[in-house]
Amino acid sequence: MYTSSGFISFALRRLTGVALVVYLFMHLWVIGSVNAGPEAFDARLAFVQQPLFKLLEVALLAAVVYHAVDGIRIMVVHYTGITEYRKSMFYAVLAVSTLLVIAGGVPIIRFMLEG
Amino acid sequence: MSNPSTHPTATVRIQRFNPETDAKPHMQEFQVELKPGVTVLDALHEIKTHQDGSLTFRRSCRHAICGSCAMHVNGKNELVCNAPLKDRLDRNGRITIRPLPYLPIIKDLVVDRSSFWEQYLRVKPWLMPPADTPEKEFRMSPEEVAALNSAETCIMCGACYSSCQIVGLTKEYIGPHALLKAFLRVMDPRDAIPGARLADLDGADGVYRCRTIFNCIDACPKNLNPTLAIETLRKLAQKREAFEQARIERQKHLDEPIPAR
Amino acid sequence: MRVFQMQRISAIALVVFLTIHMIVVHYPPFHIDFDQIIIRMADPLWKAIDIVFLFFVLVHALAGAWVVLTDVQRFSRLKRAFAGAAIVIGLIAFYYGTKTILAFQPPV
Ligand code: HEM
Ligand code: HEM
Ligand code: SF4
Ligand code: FES
Repeated sequence: MYTSSGFISFALRRLTGVALVVYLFMHLWVIGSVNAGPEAFDARLAFVQQPLFKLLEVALLAAVVYHAVDGIRIMVVHYTGITEYRKSMFYAVLAVSTLLVIAGGVPIIRFMLEG
Repeated sequence: MSNPSTHPTATVRIQRFNPETDAKPHMQEFQVELKPGVTVLDALHEIKTHQDGSLTFRRSCRHAICGSCAMHVNGKNELVCNAPLKDRLDRNGRITIRPLPYLPIIKDLVVDRSSFWEQYLRVKPWLMPPADTPEKEFRMSPEEVAALNSAETCIMCGACYSSCQIVGLTKEYIGPHALLKAFLRVMDPRDAIPGARLADLDGADGVYRCRTIFNCIDACPKNLNPTLAIETLRKLAQKREAFEQARIERQKHLDEPIPAR
Repeated sequence: MRVFQMQRISAIALVVFLTIHMIVVHYPPFHIDFDQIIIRMADPLWKAIDIVFLFFVLVHALAGAWVVLTDVQRFSRLKRAFAGAAIVIGLIAFYYGTKTILAFQPPV
């Protein structure tokens, strides 16, 4: 096993990507309940909005944000050919992701606590 | 052997594997005197000569040019002949040496590099000169030489290849070493078949298998940049025909003096 | 077009669409129920946005899953089968998802 910041970024990107694919299909199924009418939709959405799910939602947010920001980093490398700053760029991805997750996660947690 | 040494000792942890007796690799520790100027390769020699003659590893030139001695030292690939032992010791005076990762182990620190060489041959690593070769010499401009990004200095050590997680996943990937070599030939104004080369690289096992992990850059003892070579090849593959056409034009003037700027 | 390009183009589209999506379904945080969602979803423009988003997210997700699987040597023989499966799953999911989006109709 060859560990490096490059490997960690790759493993996280792949892991979050696969997790998002799984989420996507569950999500299509949850939202698909509207096909059975508003009542079915409200029932299923009430189920997935219990407090525990709100915590999972923050985890989902973290996955989306990391995957997206790191994906943008990869595309910047494709476009510019910048390879000297590969380590700093990865740390920047982690920093930006952390900030975005805090900014997005705090309101969700507060909503969960205050109802 | 009992005269007390004035030198401190280093603990060398080596991954051992003998296919005839071992089911799986295990670690073994040796103590080596830390004399000034000793390299990691010297330590291996010291062990092989004085402590355990069965220790198996590859080396040849001892001058970082033959590419035989690449190993996995403290989690990084490098040439052990060029690595000062002192700099590789941790706080407890220990160093860990394993064979190159992601390749089948033949014995101890020797790995099977067949896939490395097969992929190398696949990209036709030699120069394909044009049908009309100039009478005297091929002339390249300084810019054309600079664009090769020193790729010609690769010593085929395999450090990049075996640092790549994608190589770990699939040996069908051409790999950073061979893609770098292909880049060298594609960029070379004397090469007559850049279009065919790009066509072969432009597939799922070529430039599109790279996931931009960058380990190859970190691993290369010659400070080469296989990632950038792959990015460049991807872009050139998009405009393969125009590139080939420009090459044909260029080769009409291969023996002319480089115009002064 | 190569899977590689599909992945990048859909990724750029997703930067836009997924950002919009995450913002409109969260900020300010609210309890999601039909009456809330329909305020926005009654607008055909939002339905169109959602359908385009659905298209790109499926392309990206299935291309990505294909890449993850075919990076493994053992599965490379199956790359055609996986591609076929991805196309079928993609078409079914796109049909079902579009139907879902169009089902967001204000009660009459
Ligand atoms: C703004 C949003 C997104 C951006 C910018 C983005 C970007 C990228 C990029 C550039 C890659 C290629 C990575 C590589 O070749 O190593 C990728 C791979 C992938 N993405 Fe995304 N993505 C986004 C959202 C999503 C979503 C919503 C999903 C799931 C539904 C997803 C699933 C995947 C998967 C499974 C892969 C393959 C993983 C891999 O090759 O390691 N992505 N993404
Ligand atoms: C926890 C965060 C999320 C919430 C609360 C949420 C909520 C919703 C809601 C309420 C809808 C109904 C349509 C609309 O309002 O526009 C919807 C649709 C959709 N969402 Fe999300 N979403 C979330 C995250 C995601 C993520 C991460 C993805 C991508 C992987 C995604 C992909 C989709 C798609 C493709 C649709 C269209 C649905 C369909 O065609 O059936 N959502 N989402
Ligand atoms: S590119 Fe560098 S690491 Fe790779 S084989 Fe050549 S010299 Fe070794
Ligand atoms: S022994 Fe030749 S490169 Fe190290």
